[in-house]
Amino acid sequence: MGQEILKLSGISKTFPGVKALDGIDFSLNAGEIHCICGENGAGKSTLIKIVSGAYQPDAGGEVQFEGAPVTLTPLSAMDLGIQTIYQEHTIFGPLSVTENIFVGMEIADKGFMKFAEMKRRTQEVLDFLNSSIDPDELAENLSSGEQKIIEFAKALVFERKVIILDEPTASFSMTEIDNLLGIVKKIAERGIGIIYISHHLDEVFRIADRITILRDGKLINCCDAGDITEPELVRQMVGRDASAFYNREHFPPGEIVLEVEKLTGNGVYDIDFNVRRGEILGFAGMVGSGRSELMTLLFGGAPKIKGSVKVFGKEIDIKNPQTAIRHKMAYITEDRQHTGLFLIHTIARNTIIANLLVSSGSFYAPKREERIGAEYIEKLGTKAENAEVLVGNLSGGNQQKVVLAKWFNTEGEIFIFDEPTRGIDVGAKQEIYQLMTDLLRDNKAIIMVSSDMPEVISMSDRIMVMKDGRIVGEVSGDGVTEENVLEYSIGGKKI
Amino acid sequence: MSDTAERLGQKKFQFHWNANMNVLLILVVYIIIITIVQAVSITPGKFPTMISVSNLVNVLSQVSAPGIMAMGMALIMIAGGIDLSVGMLTSFVVLYAAKSFRDFGLSLPMALLTAVLFAVAFEAGMGFVISRINVEPFIITLGGMICFRGVALLVTHSQEVSMNNAMDPLKNTVIVGVKDQANLAVNVPPYIFLFLGITVVMWIVMRFSKYGRRIYAVGANRQAAYLAGINVKNVIFSTYIINGALVAVAALCLLSRVNTAIITVGQNLEIDVIASAVLGGVALSGGKGNIWGVFLGAILLGMIGNGMNMLRINAEWQYVTKGLIIIGAVSAAAIVAEVQSKRQLKAKQEASALESALNSAGEA
Repeated sequence: MGQEILKLSGISKTFPGVKALDGIDFSLNAGEIHCICGENGAGKSTLIKIVSGAYQPDAGGEVQFEGAPVTLTPLSAMDLGIQTIYQEHTIFGPLSVTENIFVGMEIADKGFMKFAEMKRRTQEVLDFLNSSIDPDELAENLSSGEQKIIEFAKALVFERKVIILDEPTASFSMTEIDNLLGIVKKIAERGIGIIYISHHLDEVFRIADRITILRDGKLINCCDAGDITEPELVRQMVGRDASAFYNREHFPPGEIVLEVEKLTGNGVYDIDFNVRRGEILGFAGMVGSGRSELMTLLFGGAPKIKGSVKVFGKEIDIKNPQTAIRHKMAYITEDRQHTGLFLIHTIARNTIIANLLVSSGSFYAPKREERIGAEYIEKLGTKAENAEVLVGNLSGGNQQKVVLAKWFNTEGEIFIFDEPTRGIDVGAKQEIYQLMTDLLRDNKAIIMVSSDMPEVISMSDRIMVMKDGRIVGEVSGDGVTEENVLEYSIGGKKI
Repeated sequence: MSDTAERLGQKKFQFHWNANMNVLLILVVYIIIITIVQAVSITPGKFPTMISVSNLVNVLSQVSAPGIMAMGMALIMIAGGIDLSVGMLTSFVVLYAAKSFRDFGLSLPMALLTAVLFAVAFEAGMGFVISRINVEPFIITLGGMICFRGVALLVTHSQEVSMNNAMDPLKNTVIVGVKDQANLAVNVPPYIFLFLGITVVMWIVMRFSKYGRRIYAVGANRQAAYLAGINVKNVIFSTYIINGALVAVAALCLLSRVNTAIITVGQNLEIDVIASAVLGGVALSGGKGNIWGVFLGAILLGMIGNGMNMLRINAEWQYVTKGLIIIGAVSAAAIVAEVQSKRQLKAKQEASALESALNSAGEA
């Protein structure tokens, strides 16, 4: 193993209301593949953003690069030779492979580009990677696996010292994954340090030299890959303080109100589940596992390919959200600012907007709008002077309450909550949980998508776990534990 | 009546919201300045014609046609679109109506009716493309504008057509022989009432109907509107159809005024129409604006030219001033909004800081 390139000690990062990282130590050696493991929200992304210079750590921590203390900014990280390869491609389709590699860093002489030189160096690196990609090919003609290789080539051409890979294999086929892991190992052999983040534990065990485990922003363990087993790794990733859990009242489940069979479309396949009155059906899984896509499909926001949806025992074809709303469904979307709220309109207007469809008549008096707005402010405890306040001026928790008011006002029976407490502070979170519990008491049914593990565990009666657009497991009763959910969602447990 | 109560509530709300106050303020200040200058230096000793009843009514009749069009434009813009073609569509309607009445042998009602139907059909065509194929309305209506110009010229072989005063009933004054303080005859053409009537109807639609709320919602956040059960495509489509009818009505008012149809009738009219809507507080980004604001915006725009005529300022300077007033008014409104939202944001941050402090105290 080579010498230490990067060393982080005592790194913390605080966002308003959240401590994303808490006194983390981390180091990377030349030629080492160091994997970071943790659940959604464990602090992995924050950590790599600090290494790439996108975030500045809180005062008190120290970053050393090749033994010297440094302050990392996106520019200085680049200068030092740290390159991040993100999940999404940063490829310019209409440019050739060579041009993509050298874009912004062209080799030129007196303002004239030296194309031959650039092409030669590209070819050299591609040969090293055993890749048959033609340097003159346009990037848009390459597969996504090949595009990833271009990004590696770029890092090699400029002789980077540290490469950060964030979920590099998302949406890759099996052979592409094999190929990519081989390339990663090859690059490491050249003495480059690699920070590798993946939800796929099998990949981690195939390539990692060392593994760092984060949970809730804290460093749980850092050990050589040979010193830990997969079950032990999972055990360390989960397991939180009891205070992170919410203790809600449970109700005896009633009749089935929604029944989905073999539902396919919008990137999800063969989905089967049902929901009863008085229960919360949780949907867990990693980010990108298709949970939100399923909910959008269910609500008529995307075309269905096949399958059936029965609402209150009757099969209906939900072509658009109007049909869904008329059948008493309500959809609290993941991104309230973009798909839930009208930020430039008042609380009152936001409250009545979905009700327009289900209430009778063609007119809606402004007085009535104001009265109903005020009524729901009172009911949900929204903190606002009056119903004429613009929603854009509310805090996250209060904005979420306005979204709830909008749907409560349609008298829905089946509520879909997608990430109900994302970006909401602790106090407002509890209030949202209480409101959800109140819905159950009123005999409504709830489907909840959540990436917040304590939330999904403590709120759900049953949990469906999704992976790659399919349901891969169901847990209920005593089986609702973090270990079970996590094992299904990372594919460790086979059904 | 509960209507009265609603209107009272409405007034309170409007005042609180304060969106139309900017335009009204600019309008009043402008009138006062012109009146003073006129009374002091242009025609000293005489009653300033700027604020004479005949002049004010005159301005109202001048802005009737662009004002009606501004109502349609407001509808489209609040829903998040724009229509650059209204000027040339006006020219088409005017030329087609005159030509079909005089040369194609249609009766006057049939000529006018078919003119309206054509305008609605053209706008519906553009609206269909915009709402279904999701292309920028700017581009589509720019294409429409060029097309309509061509169609208008084709219909008349690029010639002008006289109506032979057949539409005079729409412009002849409804009161005769009334003189005002400045001893000028007051002329009240009937189409003024058309303008006022359309304004009131539009106000009711935008403020009291579900349809109006859907338009605002689509303009403010299309995705959220869709998920809230609004048929976004049809709402957008409908705004263009309504606009087509309004443009046609406005064009016929213009035709009655000018009597002779020529291509220049509608030329650059879209500029004044969009300017009126924007002056009235309609945002290009959609979701914002109200009908009385647009009404005031149209009047303000008409007043600017009229006032400078009173001061005998030449046309070149009138353009410069008009442009500057539009830039100034819209910038001022933006600054006011910016300051307000900063103030509210600060209050919000303080509130949430307090909130989290309380929460953490509670946990401890």
